[in-house]
Amino acid sequence: MNTPTDLQRQRFRRPLRPLPRGLDAWADAWIGRHRRRRKIGMEFRVAAESVDRFHLRFRTLEDAQLRERISELREAVRRGGHPGRSALTEALAAIRESARRRLGLHPVLEQLQGALALNAGCLIEMATGEGKTLTAALTAIVWAWSGRPCHVVTVNDYLVERDARDLAPLYRDCGLEVAWVTGPMSSEERRRAYGADITYVTSKEVAADFLRDTLRDSRGQARGPAVLRGLHAALVDEADSVLIDEAVTPLILSAPKAHPGLTATVLHARDLASELVRDVHYGVDTARRELRLTDAGEEAVARMGGGLSGLWRSPERRGEWIRQALVAREFYQPGRQYVVLDRQIVIVDEATGRPMPQRSWRQGLHQAIEAKEGLELTPPTETLARISFQRFFRLYGRLAGMSGTCRETAAELWHVYRLPVLPIPTHRPSQRRQGADRVFPRSKDRWESVIDEIRSVHATGRPILVGTRSVAASEEVAARLEEAGLPFQLLNAVHHREEARVIARAGERDRITIATNMAGRGTDIRLGPDVALLGGLHVIATERHGSGRVDRQLFGRSARQGDPGSSVAWASLEDELLRQNLPHPLLEALSGALSHRLPLADFAAVWAIRLAQWRSEREGRRRREAVVHADQWIEESLAFTEGDGND
Amino acid sequence: MSDTSSTFSESWHRIASEHPALRPDIRIQRQRHRGELGYVLSHPYSHQFFRIGPEAHEVVARLDGRRTVEELWQECLERHPETAPGQEAVIQLLGQLYRANLLQYRGAADTEELLRRGEASRRQILRSRLANILFAQIPLVDPDRFLVRTLPVVGPLFSRWGALLWVLVVGWGMFTAIGQADALRDQAQGLLAPDNLVLLYASMIGLKILHELGHAYCCRRFGGEVHAMGVMLMLFTPMPYVDATAAWGFRERWKRVLVGGAGMIVELAVAAVAVAVWSRTAPGVVHAIAYNVMFVASVSTLVFNLNPLLRFDGYYILSDLLGIPNLAARAQLQLRVMVERTLFGVVGETGPAKTPGEAWALAAYALGSGVYRVVVFGGLLLLLSDRFFSLGLALAAIAAVVWALTPLVRLGLHLATSPRLNRRRLRATGVTALLAGGVLTVLAMVPRPHHFRAPGLVESQHWSAMHTGIDGELVRWLAQPGERVGAGQPIAELRNTELDLRERAARAELEETEARIRQALQEAIPNLKPLESVRDSIRARLEQLERDRARLVVLSPHEGVWSLPNPEEIRGRWLSRGSPLGTVIDDRGFRFRAVVPQEEADRLFASPSGHAEVRLRGDSGRVLGIRDLQILPADRQQLPSAALGWLGGGSVAVSTSDPEGRAALEPFFEVRAPLTAPEGLSLRQGRSGVIRFDLPDEPLLRRWIRSLRQLLQRRHQV
Repeated sequence: MNTPTDLQRQRFRRPLRPLPRGLDAWADAWIGRHRRRRKIGMEFRVAAESVDRFHLRFRTLEDAQLRERISELREAVRRGGHPGRSALTEALAAIRESARRRLGLHPVLEQLQGALALNAGCLIEMATGEGKTLTAALTAIVWAWSGRPCHVVTVNDYLVERDARDLAPLYRDCGLEVAWVTGPMSSEERRRAYGADITYVTSKEVAADFLRDTLRDSRGQARGPAVLRGLHAALVDEADSVLIDEAVTPLILSAPKAHPGLTATVLHARDLASELVRDVHYGVDTARRELRLTDAGEEAVARMGGGLSGLWRSPERRGEWIRQALVAREFYQPGRQYVVLDRQIVIVDEATGRPMPQRSWRQGLHQAIEAKEGLELTPPTETLARISFQRFFRLYGRLAGMSGTCRETAAELWHVYRLPVLPIPTHRPSQRRQGADRVFPRSKDRWESVIDEIRSVHATGRPILVGTRSVAASEEVAARLEEAGLPFQLLNAVHHREEARVIARAGERDRITIATNMAGRGTDIRLGPDVALLGGLHVIATERHGSGRVDRQLFGRSARQGDPGSSVAWASLEDELLRQNLPHPLLEALSGALSHRLPLADFAAVWAIRLAQWRSEREGRRRREAVVHADQWIEESLAFTEGDGND
Repeated sequence: MSDTSSTFSESWHRIASEHPALRPDIRIQRQRHRGELGYVLSHPYSHQFFRIGPEAHEVVARLDGRRTVEELWQECLERHPETAPGQEAVIQLLGQLYRANLLQYRGAADTEELLRRGEASRRQILRSRLANILFAQIPLVDPDRFLVRTLPVVGPLFSRWGALLWVLVVGWGMFTAIGQADALRDQAQGLLAPDNLVLLYASMIGLKILHELGHAYCCRRFGGEVHAMGVMLMLFTPMPYVDATAAWGFRERWKRVLVGGAGMIVELAVAAVAVAVWSRTAPGVVHAIAYNVMFVASVSTLVFNLNPLLRFDGYYILSDLLGIPNLAARAQLQLRVMVERTLFGVVGETGPAKTPGEAWALAAYALGSGVYRVVVFGGLLLLLSDRFFSLGLALAAIAAVVWALTPLVRLGLHLATSPRLNRRRLRATGVTALLAGGVLTVLAMVPRPHHFRAPGLVESQHWSAMHTGIDGELVRWLAQPGERVGAGQPIAELRNTELDLRERAARAELEETEARIRQALQEAIPNLKPLESVRDSIRARLEQLERDRARLVVLSPHEGVWSLPNPEEIRGRWLSRGSPLGTVIDDRGFRFRAVVPQEEADRLFASPSGHAEVRLRGDSGRVLGIRDLQILPADRQQLPSAALGWLGGGSVAVSTSDPEGRAALEPFFEVRAPLTAPEGLSLRQGRSGVIRFDLPDEPLLRRWIRSLRQLLQRRHQV
């Protein structure tokens, strides 16, 4: 039975305040700095120690007694709404004991500390392998006990399913029902999954479900009841990836919609574009992926008037279509950005090499690429609803998150999501040896050096993980290793499950695993027997990533939980990162200095890489800022329309 | 926000199925600017104006509340495929209309958003008030009803007959003024005299009220409503103002221009009447007021109101005539775009100008108005701070914030954050730093030739004033004035009959005494002695008389040119002793005596380069070089000549209580330098001139800092 209060609860979302601007933003940044000051971490530490003191009291209980105690505590927490400190302390201790019995994992002090910080709405930074998943579970239980649905958000369907399955015994023991939502599920299955106390889901799925619900709301109840039960609480795993990296592009719900004349226009543009010559009619900046018509090009476009629909006749429109046709020709290559499957364009994720069906590029571009490949044009899609992740996650009543690396973006996380970042120390001191970056002027020399390194480390029997930035790079390494006659595992364009299996075995003796940086996220690399004695896992980053965070994630795969391990990064001055972000003359000079082995050249090269990373990160920050600003502008200027879930 | 030219927008779904309408009370006026069609949406109550182009108008005209946005966009595409805006542009347009409160829409408004918007606009108003604090407007009354009631009386003046009358009156006034141009110019010197300031300000207020009423009536006459009139604190000086912005909604350009010019039209008519009054009254209060009114109404009108470089009437008129609304903003934008393009290499943006010529004109306007504004208001500030120290200081602080600090901070922010500079930031920052550094280096490091000037006059090195040595009647001149005389040459002859008589009496006495001496030799030897002494004294007196007699012929003490202004007038007159008989000036050697104010003396002493140049008044084309400067090391208070002081038309401040007009207000040092006359130039005693001292080259910045300090020291005793 739905009472009005229930309905209200089912539609719950936090009202949005506009982000502070100008001086307000500045003052707000200081508040954020205060909120993540070091002392805060100590307070949680003290609280965690008091949880630890309940240790023995629960250890001695029978299973049934423990379950009874837990349900008592659950009532206490539910009645109290927000659990008071003492109830919380005892509850966590009980959950901890339950975890030990059900999962065989005994949360350590640092995990308790993290759980308490999560409960307080922090974004905790825990190193890889420290047990973020379990930490999140502790908090999720406490939150779910309040009777409000709790979403645990992570990056991919595989992790969603794995984590939910793995932790299910613990949740059941605590009287909670857990479920998960993955891409292929029907809306009925989804509704059932969201009906659980705790739901594991990816950010894309939950945001899309939210948008679909909003659409249903605005078009009456014709398409069935809402799937979600309100945005009450979310714990975001891999928060940097979800809240930062993926927030560059807003989520868009779209539906195909025939547009008369578009097909003809796109084909016409393609034909006309084929008359334009590179460097005569238009200039291409490969590094920045920009294309600009020259004066001659503009003139040529101006002459190509006549005929066709309204979409073509305006010179401005015409220029846009032709530019799009040129972009499709210059920047989108089959096999790299997309593949053609069953006479359809399938987008390929450049970082992981994974094909992503059901995705399409923005209006017009997709058609332009189809036209280029000579495929039948799909009808253009019409946006039905759109929301940026920045906006979506701010709608949650309670938000907390964890990540291996988010210190770098602490200011942005506070500004946008009001999440104070709190680093949690590692349980055992890290034993990773981080080698100095090795920089080569030419990409070719770099690969040779990498192979040499692999060969010599492999001879000792240590497992090696080779991280590459793109699929193409991983294939390059594979080819060279094959040539060198070394055995290896290559990870790309396979499914998460196999990926995780391969990655999980990467710690065994004599293993060489090649993977893109993004592959196998969230999976622990456990060392095989005796490997620790050999020196643990050796991680090789063959290229610096645009963001230092991603590099740190890769390095973090070695030397987990106090194991030994080492990591080292290679780079060449021909890398995309450097070419895109540093002026050409500087690279030339560096290249000269490096090949002549001038003193300090290596030092300068390392700094150049840092500078390039800084600039690339800034560029990313700008793009996200632009998303937020565009969002805010739309909300303020089109406030007379029905919003995408802001009302 | 995003690229407005793109055909499709990801946000289109937000508005595609809405049926917004334009508010029914919005009026749309068609206007033509420079041959281009434009439309002005005006809101009758809030007095807001919103300009759109014809493409946007196609969309706006279809906002009827029945069509959805999607439908009307499709309609635009079909009807005007060449010009129809893209989805993104339509979203932008609707967003702007909504923000300007011009849209009516179904469904409940987002109340919170409305409140936030109201708050933001209030804050915006406050901020613009603060930024414009030097021109703060305080609305006081709503004159509309008054204007409507009195329009039947005043209205007929705004007609063809009124124009004819105006031409007659102004013509007559100009005719009178030209006839008495000299007198007009003379009186201008007393304009800023302290006793005239109050009158001047009062006349100005009265006049400006008429000026504003001119705008108001004119605007009302053409149907624009005028709802605010009040006080504008221009540099904290209260001035009336009226809000005639309703005129912007007029369709005909000439009406808009006329409303803009109405104030000046009124003022010129008043000036003409004032000229007539002035020329027909004797000096007195009415005369003075008439003069002030005339001055303010003509000069200030031309310098301030008509001048388009400042944002007064002339600016709006020009902006309208050129058909460039928001001329100043566009000019600034153009300037910025040009700077960014040429110096920073930013591509893509072309600015508002349509032709290269227009681009240059706009940029020049932006530069010119900026410089002009700083100069004019800087000058006004200096003037004000001269009179009211603390007020001046406050104003200077505000001006520094508004005109120096804010633009600098803005420039910094622009360089640091502007997305347009994203890939040129290094170059932009570098070029700016280089330019600023270059200018600073030149100012601070590169020594520039350096001079300063001081007033002074020509004086002979050797000259003497001639006086009568004795009383007497001037019988005749022995030399002609202007004649070159030698040393000891007689110049004038005096006659003193008393002297003759006294001599004769003395001689008689001498004879008598000698006779008595002879008698005493024979008769009474003992009397001899006293008589001899009597004789000696008489002889002495005689000698004295001889000498006096010799003085009757006045001799030139030395060689030179003897001059006397009016020799014939005193011939035959009785001159008492010490009466002036002209001067003998040795024209073989002249020197220049200059008066150097205290504050410059330091530099003078510090840099004895000894080189200077003199230019004499009336012959400033010729430069007289000077070698040996002699600086009298003690300061003085008495000017060498009254001609150098204020009262004598010079530039040195003198005490008004000194009848001679020679007592300088501030002590000065005297500099003397021998002058040699070049060919064809005759040096004359007392001829005034200016001496220019060449100082060692010094960087400009150091000089400016010193002048600023001196200014503060002098004006404010800081």
